[in-house]
Amino acid sequence: MKAAINRFSAWVVNHAMIMWVIMAAFTLFFAIGLRTVDIRTVFSDLLPKDDPYVKVFSDHPNFGNPLTMTVMVKRKDGKIYNSETLKKIWNLTRDIDLAPGVDHDTIISITTEKARYAEATPLGVNMQPVMGDRVPTTPEELEDLRRRIEQSPNAKTFLVSRDESAAVIQATFLESKVDWGKAFAFVQNLVEKARDKDHEVYLAGQPALIGWVYKLRAQIGWIFIATFCALTVVLALYMRNFGGTVTPVICSVVAGIWGFGLAGWIRSPIEPLLLVVPVLLVARTFSHCVQYSERYYEILAHVRNKKKAVEICMSVMMVPSVFGIITDFLGITLIAMAPIPAMERFALFAGWWAIAIIPNGVILISLLLLALPTPKNIDKLVGQDTGLHGAIRNWLLALAKITYGKPAFLTAGFFAVLAVAATYLAIQIKIGNPVEGSNVLFPDSEYNMAVKAINRNFPGVNTLEIVIEAKPGAGQKWRVARSEEASFVRTKLQALIESSEHPPRATLSFTDYMMEGNRLFSGGSPKWLPLDPDPQAVNAAGTSVTMGSNPKNFANVSDYAFQNSTVSLWYADNKQETVDNALATAKKAVDAVGVDHKDFTVRLGTGLIALQQSMNNVTERFHYRILGALSLVIVILASLVYRSVIGGLLLIIPVLLSNFLLFAAMNIVGVGLDINSLMVAAVAVGVGIDYDIYLLSRICEEYHAHDGDWKRTIAASLSTTGKAILFTATVVLVGLTPWYFMSDLKFMSDMSILLLILVTINMIMALVVLPLLVWFIKPKFATRTDLIVGESYDLSDFTAKGSEIDSMMAKV
Amino acid sequence: MFRIGKYDFNYSRRVFMEKAAKGTAGAGVLCSSWPLIAQGASIKKAYPDELISIEMQTKGKVKVGDIISKDNVQYVKHLCDPFLYRQITEQGRKIKIRATTLDVTEKMYSRPFWEATMRGQAAGGAKFDADGNLITVGGKKWTGGSPFPDPKTALEATINLTLAWGRADMTQYAVRETEINAAGDIDYRYDFSWMELMVQSRTDGQVLRNQNDLLRQQVVWFTSTEDVAGTSFLSTWYYDQRKMPDLYGYLPQFRRVRQFPANQRFEPLVPGATWFLTDAWAAGDPMLTWGDYKVVEIRPALMAAGGNWKGKRPNWEKGRHGGPKGNTFFDTEFELAPEVMVVEAKPTGFPRAPAGFKRMWIDLRNSMYCADIRYDRNGKEWVNFETGSGQLTDGDLTLYYEGTKDPIWSWNYVLSADIQTGRMTQIEHAEKVAGGIKNRWNVPAEEVYDKYFTQKAVASFGKI
Repeated sequence: MKAAINRFSAWVVNHAMIMWVIMAAFTLFFAIGLRTVDIRTVFSDLLPKDDPYVKVFSDHPNFGNPLTMTVMVKRKDGKIYNSETLKKIWNLTRDIDLAPGVDHDTIISITTEKARYAEATPLGVNMQPVMGDRVPTTPEELEDLRRRIEQSPNAKTFLVSRDESAAVIQATFLESKVDWGKAFAFVQNLVEKARDKDHEVYLAGQPALIGWVYKLRAQIGWIFIATFCALTVVLALYMRNFGGTVTPVICSVVAGIWGFGLAGWIRSPIEPLLLVVPVLLVARTFSHCVQYSERYYEILAHVRNKKKAVEICMSVMMVPSVFGIITDFLGITLIAMAPIPAMERFALFAGWWAIAIIPNGVILISLLLLALPTPKNIDKLVGQDTGLHGAIRNWLLALAKITYGKPAFLTAGFFAVLAVAATYLAIQIKIGNPVEGSNVLFPDSEYNMAVKAINRNFPGVNTLEIVIEAKPGAGQKWRVARSEEASFVRTKLQALIESSEHPPRATLSFTDYMMEGNRLFSGGSPKWLPLDPDPQAVNAAGTSVTMGSNPKNFANVSDYAFQNSTVSLWYADNKQETVDNALATAKKAVDAVGVDHKDFTVRLGTGLIALQQSMNNVTERFHYRILGALSLVIVILASLVYRSVIGGLLLIIPVLLSNFLLFAAMNIVGVGLDINSLMVAAVAVGVGIDYDIYLLSRICEEYHAHDGDWKRTIAASLSTTGKAILFTATVVLVGLTPWYFMSDLKFMSDMSILLLILVTINMIMALVVLPLLVWFIKPKFATRTDLIVGESYDLSDFTAKGSEIDSMMAKV
Repeated sequence: MFRIGKYDFNYSRRVFMEKAAKGTAGAGVLCSSWPLIAQGASIKKAYPDELISIEMQTKGKVKVGDIISKDNVQYVKHLCDPFLYRQITEQGRKIKIRATTLDVTEKMYSRPFWEATMRGQAAGGAKFDADGNLITVGGKKWTGGSPFPDPKTALEATINLTLAWGRADMTQYAVRETEINAAGDIDYRYDFSWMELMVQSRTDGQVLRNQNDLLRQQVVWFTSTEDVAGTSFLSTWYYDQRKMPDLYGYLPQFRRVRQFPANQRFEPLVPGATWFLTDAWAAGDPMLTWGDYKVVEIRPALMAAGGNWKGKRPNWEKGRHGGPKGNTFFDTEFELAPEVMVVEAKPTGFPRAPAGFKRMWIDLRNSMYCADIRYDRNGKEWVNFETGSGQLTDGDLTLYYEGTKDPIWSWNYVLSADIQTGRMTQIEHAEKVAGGIKNRWNVPAEEVYDKYFTQKAVASFGKI
């Protein structure tokens, strides 16, 4: 193995031109793929596909109004029954019909013909729109409108608020036709124009959420650029030479081209919400390059031959570099264990990007170092004890002192207590991190404020749907949704849930419409609300409301063909306690009516409540599984690299401790574990372990240089590689910080802050816990001379001399 | 061989543009076509070859009998309405090309309607009164037949459609309607009877029961599927084209009549249908409830103006093809119509209409439409109520009005395509449908009025 690596390194250095051509060809190939890169959010792909609730959602995507925008007009100082407010509602209703991709048949408000009231007449029933062909203006007309709305149960409950101060306009979009960005921009513009001193106007609904994410896509691009610039500046300040600054930038850009290029070639959409990970990858590329360059400068300072230095550096750094990148790759790709399509796609995209860092971070960087002029400040960078580098080195040497000798016992005691406490608190962390509205945006975002306002005034958006699913071939005579049995099952479900310990604030099913039709066609008395237990009577009630109507008017409770239907339950909030109670109550009710019926199956369920639970379920199912698998794979790999299981354990312990510390901290501040934090944890394991790999590899090298003196070995390793770790962690922090402060997407901000914290903890663990473990365990594998980390060269030629370390240690 | 060598391909186009702009000339390019039609002569003299021969029009690329598919539609793209072109290119629709009908009098009119039309013209023809309603030159209500057989304006072309939907005094059609979703699956299938009874503007000149304020009674009576059987609608149309029809529905199980809002013209009668009341016969609303009528253009076009009755097939059923499941379109025949007036109108009388405007593609040979395209308020195509019409002749088989040797002229099919949702409504003129419903034409009014065309009558359909 070692011979092969050496031969390869020598070959690359001696055939630099060929390697340039190969790298350029690959880069060109992937650059062509950039033309078809598709960055967009597919919200349904953010759900775990194997979850029973998500399966119900996938089978019945229209229940719960996922394609509906809701605009609420609220009169600040009174009721809506004045011509000014009604005119506003009228205009908004008409104007939304002009939105691109809107389904014209689905627009409803009290100003549309679809909002009807009914009056019994001697011959039968007269059904008329609650509002005529113009906005009422006189007090009598306004009062008449109010009376008509009172006579319309649907309008009264779902179109006008209980206190009559607000009204909603709903419009559903055609998924096949709509460009969410354009549709949102159009409606948002209407909403903004409609606001004035007397009216609040809000926009909510899943399409609006998608619209906000799309709108913020441009911001993502700007933050990306700002991040890249910040990283470059930090790098320049640190390196203070052209080659050291340019090399990581070029390698990052090329790796990025490879990463995005493949996604473009295979036409796999990239989820913009997860673009923090590519930022991390850029930062990682910077880090790898800095580690690599620093080592190169150290070697160059010794051998004073650029070509030889590049060759040796590649030989020495290849294994730790590749190993480190592979752990990044594993951290990213093992996220795909959670069966969430967006994450599976993302794992492919980002995982490939991570892999692309290998040729760029090993070969391209070598070619660049070879081609670029030799920096003039090498001595400053590698050995001087003055300036910033010297200060860092001294600080690290001081830090090293708490990891060996007598202080080590104190440090170990501290970390042991910390580990026990962290583990205890971490395993008690709650699953789920609900927010009112969407977790993608901040609680005070315009969208989430709109959701809150609508929830306050109307049954709201927190629904749980129990689906009455027609069996294949059923409904030949009576359409299943309008059949006697389905109708009575829905009624029973509603009755059981409404009378439960935890009733929802409203329920609705197609049976409610049928009962209303029955009442009206039977003369108008409320005593005719109940349906006769007879198939023909029930079907007639269904026909009474559907004739002369578009099935889309009932899309919230039944499918287009009136085969599948739903019982909608509205809850005041989506707190975990509410979700748990809602699902438990619904489950009990479903058990009471039975799941399997002749023509249909009762399925629990879909809607926001169920889908939120599905995200909790996937987090609960996979967070230990992913972290466990990742740890296992890393331990196995590390064991192979270091030819010792102890090597694997030495690497994984600090990283896992970091994760437990994060979870413990989250638990203390009351933040639950969700899919974001799970993803961060997995990625951070891959990233965090790099620090340990570099340090442990260095320890193995320094051990021989210091004749088996562990103190000096640790001190030397920390003062060299530790410095690089400190810097690379700083690079990652610089890369992530703008995302926390600048992003209006809470999802990204959360991910960046969690990553920031975790990377910092990981760095501390690498600098303290790993040396501490090495000091106590004194691993035998480090004493071997046949390891593939740093093999085959007389490393003492370009490791710190024992006497140098002694003198430096004495100074601090 | 070119008959009129001195006229190049652009000559007709220039004439049409001029006519559309001025709105004064009648149909015909080389000479007026109406005198030829009135005499029962061929319209051949009125048009250059390229307007009456698809082969000449396409410079030999398409011949009579050819099937137009996405592979050769480029040769007739300029003759297609926007829906037809998109359906062929995007949805696998195919149409068969037939020869242009030149004998308009015999083939594109029914004898009774033709005779009433000629009587009306002989009496001086029609005009609009100050309110915009149709009257005779003598100031009386129109007496029957087509009031403007040679329409020169958008309003004249439109009133021809609005006034005489089925071009008969009484019709009863056996209809089968199938609702197909975007995936090609059938969501709904209905059988019903569509009946029209003209109260005035009849070919026999009568005004039924002296109801001078009415134009027609119209009934829709569903007989299948079982869940809607017996449900029926009665629509009473007023002669005054500013006035909305009354619409009543009847549900047999409740024995109750439901009155629908008069202005509810943009909702389907039954769940699943893509067409609204406003779409029927391209003139589903009284003419003056729409406004801003204008002639958009005059042009040659492919029209389903004959050959689409499949009387030899069981229950007159058409073959189907295209779409995701190979069942979205009927097998249909189209011919090159030499002169088609594209008329636009806006729903000015409906402040809440979801439609922005509609365009009717009217064949100036017989003032019958083929395409009736509804656009949304953004001006995007929404629904086309494509109607195929013609004599009920299938090869050597012809259906005649009872007791005569006059071939029946009728609508043959409707394809109502919602291009935004991908849904298709197929409306098929069947021989008979559930409930024993068969077709009838021109049955004496007194035989049918009380039996079918009153609120009491529709309440009897669903006795169960």
